[in-house]
Amino acid sequence: MDELITILGRETVRTILGLTGTFLIVVLNTLVLTWAERKVAGHMQRRIGPKEVGPYGLLQPIADTLKLLGKEILTPRAVERPLYYLAPTIVFIPVLVSFIVIPFDSYLQVKDINVGILVILAFSSLSVLSILFAGWGSNNKYSLIGSIRSVAQNIAYEIPLLLSILPVILIANSLSLKDIVEAQKGIWFVVYQPVAFLTFFIASVAETNRTPFDLPEAESELVAGFHTEYSGMRFAFFFLAEYTNIFIVSAIATTFFLGGYQGPILPGIVWFFVKSYLLVFIILWFRWTFPRVRFDQLLNFSWKILIPVSLLNLLITGGILKI
Amino acid sequence: MVNTIREKIKAKIGDVEVTEVSYTEKGYHLSISAIKRNLLPLVHFFDEHLFYLEDICCVDYVEYLELVYFFNNYQSLCRMKVTLQIEPEHPQAPTISHIYDGAFWYEREIHEFFGVVFENHPNMAYLFLHDGIEFYPLRKKMVLVSDEDKRLLNSFKVEVEEDTFSVNMGPQHPSTHGVLRLVLKMDGEYIESAQPVLGYLHRMHEKMAENRGYLQFLPNPGRMDYLGAMAFNLGYVTTVEKLCGIPVPERAEFVRVIAVELNRISSHLLWIGAFLADLGAFTPFLYVFDDRENILDVLESITGSRLTYCYFRFGGLYNDINESFIEMTKAFLKRMWGRFNIYENLITKNVIFINRTKNIGTIDQDRARKYGISGPVVRSARQPYDIRKVEPYAAYKELDFDIPSGEQGDNFDRYMVRIREMEISLRIIEQAIDKMPEGPFRTEKVPKKLKPPKGDVYHTVETPRGELGVYIVSDESDTPYRMRWRVPSFSNLIIFPHLARGTLMADAVSILGSLDLVIPEIDR
Amino acid sequence: MGKRGFHLETKNLSVKFAVVEKILNLARANSLWPMTFGLACCAIEMMAAAMSRFDLDRFGAALFRPSPRQADLMIVSGTVTRKMAPTFVTLYEQMPSPKWVIAMGNCAISGGPFVFEGQYNVVEGVDLLVPVDVYVPGCPPRPEALLEGILLLEEKITGKRRFPKPEAKW
Repeated sequence: MDELITILGRETVRTILGLTGTFLIVVLNTLVLTWAERKVAGHMQRRIGPKEVGPYGLLQPIADTLKLLGKEILTPRAVERPLYYLAPTIVFIPVLVSFIVIPFDSYLQVKDINVGILVILAFSSLSVLSILFAGWGSNNKYSLIGSIRSVAQNIAYEIPLLLSILPVILIANSLSLKDIVEAQKGIWFVVYQPVAFLTFFIASVAETNRTPFDLPEAESELVAGFHTEYSGMRFAFFFLAEYTNIFIVSAIATTFFLGGYQGPILPGIVWFFVKSYLLVFIILWFRWTFPRVRFDQLLNFSWKILIPVSLLNLLITGGILKI
Repeated sequence: MVNTIREKIKAKIGDVEVTEVSYTEKGYHLSISAIKRNLLPLVHFFDEHLFYLEDICCVDYVEYLELVYFFNNYQSLCRMKVTLQIEPEHPQAPTISHIYDGAFWYEREIHEFFGVVFENHPNMAYLFLHDGIEFYPLRKKMVLVSDEDKRLLNSFKVEVEEDTFSVNMGPQHPSTHGVLRLVLKMDGEYIESAQPVLGYLHRMHEKMAENRGYLQFLPNPGRMDYLGAMAFNLGYVTTVEKLCGIPVPERAEFVRVIAVELNRISSHLLWIGAFLADLGAFTPFLYVFDDRENILDVLESITGSRLTYCYFRFGGLYNDINESFIEMTKAFLKRMWGRFNIYENLITKNVIFINRTKNIGTIDQDRARKYGISGPVVRSARQPYDIRKVEPYAAYKELDFDIPSGEQGDNFDRYMVRIREMEISLRIIEQAIDKMPEGPFRTEKVPKKLKPPKGDVYHTVETPRGELGVYIVSDESDTPYRMRWRVPSFSNLIIFPHLARGTLMADAVSILGSLDLVIPEIDR
Repeated sequence: MGKRGFHLETKNLSVKFAVVEKILNLARANSLWPMTFGLACCAIEMMAAAMSRFDLDRFGAALFRPSPRQADLMIVSGTVTRKMAPTFVTLYEQMPSPKWVIAMGNCAISGGPFVFEGQYNVVEGVDLLVPVDVYVPGCPPRPEALLEGILLLEEKITGKRRFPKPEAKW
């Protein structure tokens, strides 16, 4: 270990370890979330979810992954090859990059970039591109309609996302995620900014294409939306990216509003995961409670309600801070 | 009412033959035989007097074909049967689809099953059948399809103009309606026209009826509408009993009422689950099946099957009910009264649900009349028309219940009407259990091979989806000569293309869901 | 139509991957994703089998995917008519292998109660169109029968049965 450090340099080893850890977290998180989604769904619907595959169904995600690995790699004849192949790969990159700047504990952060939040926001816009590639490249009317809906939805909800983070940045006086967590030593920002927390949460549910905003993959209307034509491992990538996205938005919400890794007795990283997974559970809860909103109601909600509310919040915060 | 109509017809249109028949024996009040040139004035007359088109069917008496039209009135019961005889070679008849919009599809169906060409009908393409069938199925002798008719039948083309594209929904559908194919012509997200294509589940029930004895045909109605199988069974059995004059003991009538109402509750419950699954909420689907399993346990204890019942026989029931059935029903009633709270909190008060269903798919009263709509759909359009009240059958005369009706005729009203109907059904079951007499459950001495007298009979019952009409023509042999099923989902679906114009695709799906269609009964 | 099981596309391969094949078969049996292909009355019993009382999700098999490209099991529940047959075969061919078919109900097995002399529209049995793995008889079969059908399919894939067969004690 020490020889490795002297050969490569401290920073490089740290980065490599950090990236490996991130990758592990992504994979483990997907496994846990696939299991948790079906179990939570089962218990809310008065049944038990997967039970036979391993104790408490814990081996179910592994069975799913192995099955998807062993599927025939099928490329329909009429797809646009470059876009079709590129889409599952691109959908994964923004998620991995966002993990670099999240502080899991006071010393567990791959790189503390001083414009951390900008990195996350910039790369999360890229995920829209992958959905568009998937929809267009599939050469299928349903996929096209699904991806167009998704593009409009993502663009509309990025603005409230940004506008609800701005007050927090104003209060904490820095763009780096570590500083924001440190600035919540006394009181968490959710107490100062409840409206911003709600707006951020709703906008992030819309960004990750979850119910009640899951029109791009609206099952009963569009067969399966933009990933209709994908099978096997390529489909698994979309799944992976969706679950990791859920975790990332919960992690960001924890960092910004719920104090990050701070908490009494237990180590910071445990608190971080507890808070993030609490928000993840609420997002999973939404899926099994609400019906879907209609497309024009969705856009109306964003442009006519969420954006004015968050703008007003920003103005009031700015005004109070000045005074 | 019947006499005034008769006088008016005689006065206005001179050369029709109007005979008054006994309603209790035949099921209709007046039998009018028209000829080609006075059919249209007669239909105009009915339209002015606010009659609705109940059914159009065709019977093949080998020397001539007879078109039979049934008209009825929402306000006061007055059923008219109009018959038109046409020649069997190159049969032609005038169309009435410009007066009654519902006649569009009835005439298309008669065209492809019998070969009758309706003049001036805008679209004579295939409705149920497809290209591989070379003859007219319901004719008594094999008549091959002529070439010019083939061209007419295959004339369905999907036209695409600039700026629109056409999307195919189905026949394999994630929503649980069954095999229905919708060809949607869309302009962005808005639908310009929606055309249903039927026939993917055409299982030839009407042809089977001509090849089977009356008792052998009993399992078939349950397969037509598998969610309301008791009501279909009841319709068939009551029609044959009317035709043959078989009396039914009182106890059997009350048990029939209980069974049909339990089935109605289970059908409405499944509709709630399917409707909300269309809108995107999956959890009510599971709660609903949970309640439904209780009903299925109760009904399984007397009938033996879970879904496609065949419990009624001519003259009564298959077997008697026992104490445990009454106990289980009472336990179910007690449980169900407490469950409406859950649906209220989860669905009715949900803002997203209200926004998705209010003011969408509004049907107004006059449109409903022209299409012949029945059931909860017409009750939501401010027309409280329920066959259990208007033409009571089984034990409904002795039970006391009211009929819910909606204000506006939109999706939300249809949802509320069905919820209230479930509550009313629970009350009906309670009353029926209290009033049930002792006695035999089946009339003795009903022959196994029924040979009914010559004639025809029409009888309607109220299924969970609307008005079911069974029209049997018998010629004294042991198989029916012609059996026609007038199903509620068929007439309810005809209004869908009109409702879906100009809406978003999500709204079209929710309107289709709220009409409560079961495709096997449309395709028969 | 693709072959089932794990195989390589080369012709003269004399190597068989025994352990990998066993693990993959185990994974496939425990995570069968059905396609929503309910046609008629049997579809309601298929839905009832996926609901709270007879939970199919216990075996990992209740993730119903609406798109054929993501499903590996097709439960044909209901009558297949001649008008529906081309669509049905297209859907089957769109599924990537390995794929299985369960013919549920009498109509899918042999046309059911709708076969009579002079019938013109019903395909007498789905195995005239696609290869079928498990037949589940009944009109409609109870949800427990469908569960038994899925357990039989798992036995066909892995070679071992999950629950012991109950013996009839008369």
